[in-house]
Amino acid sequence: MNPEVDQILNLSAQQLMGTLAPLLPTGYAQGAAALTSFMLILSAEEYDRAADIRVADNADMRALFAELAPRIGDAALKQKLEAAAASRDPSLKISALDETNYELRRLLIALHAHVETLKDSRDAERRIWGLLTASAQRRILKMPGS
Amino acid sequence: MSDDISQRLQDYLAAKLGAPDLLVSALARIPGGASRETYRFRAHYDRGGKTVERALILRRDPPASLIETERSTEFRAYQAFHALGLPVPEPIALELDGAALERPFFIMEEIENCAVASILSPDPYGGHGEKIGEQFFSVLGRIAGADPQKLGLSDFDGAREPADCWRHELTRWEKVIVEDEREPQPIARAAIRWLRRHPPPPAQKICVVHGDYRTGNFLIDSEGNIRAILDWEMAHLGDPLEDLGWALDPLWSRGDANTAAGMVKRARALAIWEETSGLKVDPAALAWWEIFASLKGAAIWISAAREYTEGRNTDPVNAFSGWFCLAFHNKVLAERLAGEFA
Repeated sequence: MNPEVDQILNLSAQQLMGTLAPLLPTGYAQGAAALTSFMLILSAEEYDRAADIRVADNADMRALFAELAPRIGDAALKQKLEAAAASRDPSLKISALDETNYELRRLLIALHAHVETLKDSRDAERRIWGLLTASAQRRILKMPGS
Repeated sequence: MSDDISQRLQDYLAAKLGAPDLLVSALARIPGGASRETYRFRAHYDRGGKTVERALILRRDPPASLIETERSTEFRAYQAFHALGLPVPEPIALELDGAALERPFFIMEEIENCAVASILSPDPYGGHGEKIGEQFFSVLGRIAGADPQKLGLSDFDGAREPADCWRHELTRWEKVIVEDEREPQPIARAAIRWLRRHPPPPAQKICVVHGDYRTGNFLIDSEGNIRAILDWEMAHLGDPLEDLGWALDPLWSRGDANTAAGMVKRARALAIWEETSGLKVDPAALAWWEIFASLKGAAIWISAAREYTEGRNTDPVNAFSGWFCLAFHNKVLAERLAGEFA
């Protein structure tokens, strides 16, 4: 598609800041316009990477669940982990990926809290924090203009 | 709408100040965060045969607030610290029932010819960073060193016992996260559990905590002088290190761990704070409060995201906070706590 969505968002941000914002009253209105322009730029960045982030997050969580499930004594939690590890993303639509992502994140929270109660859990905790760090780094946004 | 507020404000102030000839002019909304609508205006009236012109600020509740805060808390904090001689605007009037302007509001003096240093600006301090930073941590030390009893603020919300400060605040912000999260937050949840398992030592004293002492919440003039500390709406009683941890959060220095609030070397900032507060910085305790600060940030941004997403407050600052700032603090928390298991 041309123009692409990220280009439309970036050029709309330029239009808003360069042409429209100066016509607004100074103070709150111009400040809100500037921040809205920032949000358009961030949205352009997200457009390109949104599916990739979610697919990577979901794959990482499934791999973690497959790795840690054998160490979990709680039968119900272990079963959930195994089922989630074997699941697949049903679609690449962002809404569908988010729905799956939230389900997997809920299970990750339960797993993490459970692991913290186990003896000799340091390796597993390190592994979980590694996943959380990678996910957070993936989702960080660049400050426009930096 | 502004015209409507202008007339109502004029009627209110004329009665409040006993000046039936009072006129309000130049009312304009200015940026002031998402928790209150902020307007600047001028009031002209006759006093003892002389014409008085005052530059004033109106802070009015929005239809929905980012964090539910007590208006009288903010107003009383302005009163107390203005009287103490800190750079704080003089508060003029507080109306809790809000009948005059539809919602609760308060009025204070405007500190003119000043600007807010925004974290969105590439050079927020105009070359005066070190000078401003020294004042910033000096004023914070004076807030920490002040006696809540003498300030008349010992009834503020918060912890009453030094050993309870951390638990009081962690419980408060955990509740915000639990109530406001619209998607699972594994980093915030894990951070809460970690903070509970590794509590800091009791506070050295109970002080008034500003609650949001950071870049963006003070006014500077063109010479690099801090002229006003603003936004006291989250003030409470607690551990002096709470404000210090929040002021040092990497969001305000754009991730530069060596520069406190993006202004002054960290060691210098801590030395100034110790000197002006008369307190000591326990590195282990401060480390806990710094992790807590990033969690508190995440809680505020989660709350902002909810307000925006559910349409109660669609100010773009809520979208920015709920997305950019939350992503930032999730990264800070994850990297910091992953380091505990490295």
